[in-house]
Amino acid sequence: MAAIETQNLTRTFGNLTAVENLTMQVEQGEVLGFLGPNGAGKTTTVRMLSGIISPTAGRATVAGLEITESVEEIHERIGLLTETPGFYDRLSARENLLYFGRFYAIDAEEQVDTYLKRFGLWERQTDKVGTFSKGMKQRLALARTLLHEPDILFLDEPTAGLDPKSAKEVRDLIMDLKRMGRTVFLCTHNLEEAELLCDRIAVFQARLIALDTPENLRSSLFRREVVVELESLDDTIVMAVRNLDFVGTVRKDETSLTLELRDFDKNRPALVRAIVEKSGNIKSVYEKKHSLEDVYLALTREEEQP
Amino acid sequence: MSRGNSTQKRIANVMRKEWKVIFSDLNSSLFVSVLPFVIMIQAVVILYLVSRFAGPAALQNTILREGMEAWLQTFPEIAQLSAAEQFQVFFVGQIPYYFLLIPAMTAVSFATFSIVEEKQTKTLEPLLATPVRTWELLLGKSLAGLLPSLILTWIVTGCFLVVITALGWGNLIQYVVNRQWIISLVILVPLVSLLAFMLGVIGSSRSSDPKGAQNLAVIIVLPVVAIIIMQLVGAAVLVTSTLLFLCGGAAILDIVLLKAAVGLFQRESIVIRWR
Repeated sequence: MAAIETQNLTRTFGNLTAVENLTMQVEQGEVLGFLGPNGAGKTTTVRMLSGIISPTAGRATVAGLEITESVEEIHERIGLLTETPGFYDRLSARENLLYFGRFYAIDAEEQVDTYLKRFGLWERQTDKVGTFSKGMKQRLALARTLLHEPDILFLDEPTAGLDPKSAKEVRDLIMDLKRMGRTVFLCTHNLEEAELLCDRIAVFQARLIALDTPENLRSSLFRREVVVELESLDDTIVMAVRNLDFVGTVRKDETSLTLELRDFDKNRPALVRAIVEKSGNIKSVYEKKHSLEDVYLALTREEEQP
Repeated sequence: MSRGNSTQKRIANVMRKEWKVIFSDLNSSLFVSVLPFVIMIQAVVILYLVSRFAGPAALQNTILREGMEAWLQTFPEIAQLSAAEQFQVFFVGQIPYYFLLIPAMTAVSFATFSIVEEKQTKTLEPLLATPVRTWELLLGKSLAGLLPSLILTWIVTGCFLVVITALGWGNLIQYVVNRQWIISLVILVPLVSLLAFMLGVIGSSRSSDPKGAQNLAVIIVLPVVAIIIMQLVGAAVLVTSTLLFLCGGAAILDIVLLKAAVGLFQRESIVIRWR
């Protein structure tokens, strides 16, 4: 059984279609990165999947439960980290966590102790949340999300606005959750973070543009290219490589060549030989790695074109 | 997997939090706890000043004369009292309705502080992702507002009776603590509290600060003031039957506003429409 499954999930607000025919599956224990520009409908999707708002059309299940029929049961099984942490500033960290924890059938006191310690907030537990920094509030929000040990987590921009150290702590936590077999639906703008944490990436802009592993997304969009850096580059070398039948497009700048190769692994040594034969002094040869940002920009650019 | 806590526990949890939040703020806690006593002191001062400086003879030549006459016809047992005492009973008889301002204003304050606080701190969305049902949340908030407003009204009424006894008007209590006052305390006060709370919820759904939310909700004060004025000028005297009729009307209005508030207090409305 998939942890999350949607079929033609759609949500409109008046004339605006925020989410259109979203069909996808998130497997148990998977970390899915949900990427898209601002206003793409990511938060609306999370709100539908967490049973806070209803879809206009289509259906979805979370932990095998229909989102329109089993809202309270779904809420027992999920943890939602909203984009804005949202705490009662005049209550202490402990009072805030206890309030939220007491809606679940857990030993709230014990769980609150555990998570205050785990997120380094034990010493500040009696301080009012209004005095906390943004990073501390975010850690507290993560503690709240995990208090009842949910199977499925919806994390909306969990590292937004955090300093590098706090952001790393959050990423480490997500890795821990993955190791523990929790399913994580991660909305993020941070592409490095998505690459680091996610098993698969969904690129979304009101509708699902692509859904695959980062590696498959790359290979579906970009051919494999090799970069050859030389001490100096002259036209005889460029001519020589252009005449090789396994070389596709060639781009050159001052001292380097970027080439598309057929049978990449097989033909790379022959390319190197051809350059050396033309007295090229090679400094390095490496495969050009397209970042997830390249993938994301290519996909969203395609989407924006008429 | 955890299983949700019972409805009772969830409602109690909401109530506990509401009280913690409201009483952790000096302004709101002072407003809620001191305002009822200010209203009571105001009532005592007015009574004292009227008795001390205006006197029945002076008041007979004002708009209050017809009110006094209507009062005497409705409650003939006070005819045996002196003119001064009759006026004192007449004024003290308005107090149960004047004290309706207490549940009205405290319940409105609770509702607006509570909901606007949630909006300002953006706590509603994470809250709506817990197993708490929206009706449990609304009921918890309502009870957190209604119980203190009821208890405060009853305490203030008790204090008022003690004070007028101390001022030497104890012999009049038997004429003023009548069936109407009991109906007002036991039936009308809870109904007015609920009415005020729901108006506060409705006002808060469209407002981002407590004052803005209270603008709509304070219309509850108008019928209360109207009752007092009508009685003072003799346009109406609330006997048991009219008072029960009034309670019926308030109950119907409560149901209508409760439905409106519940309609507004839905997950989807809160997340999408409340700003």
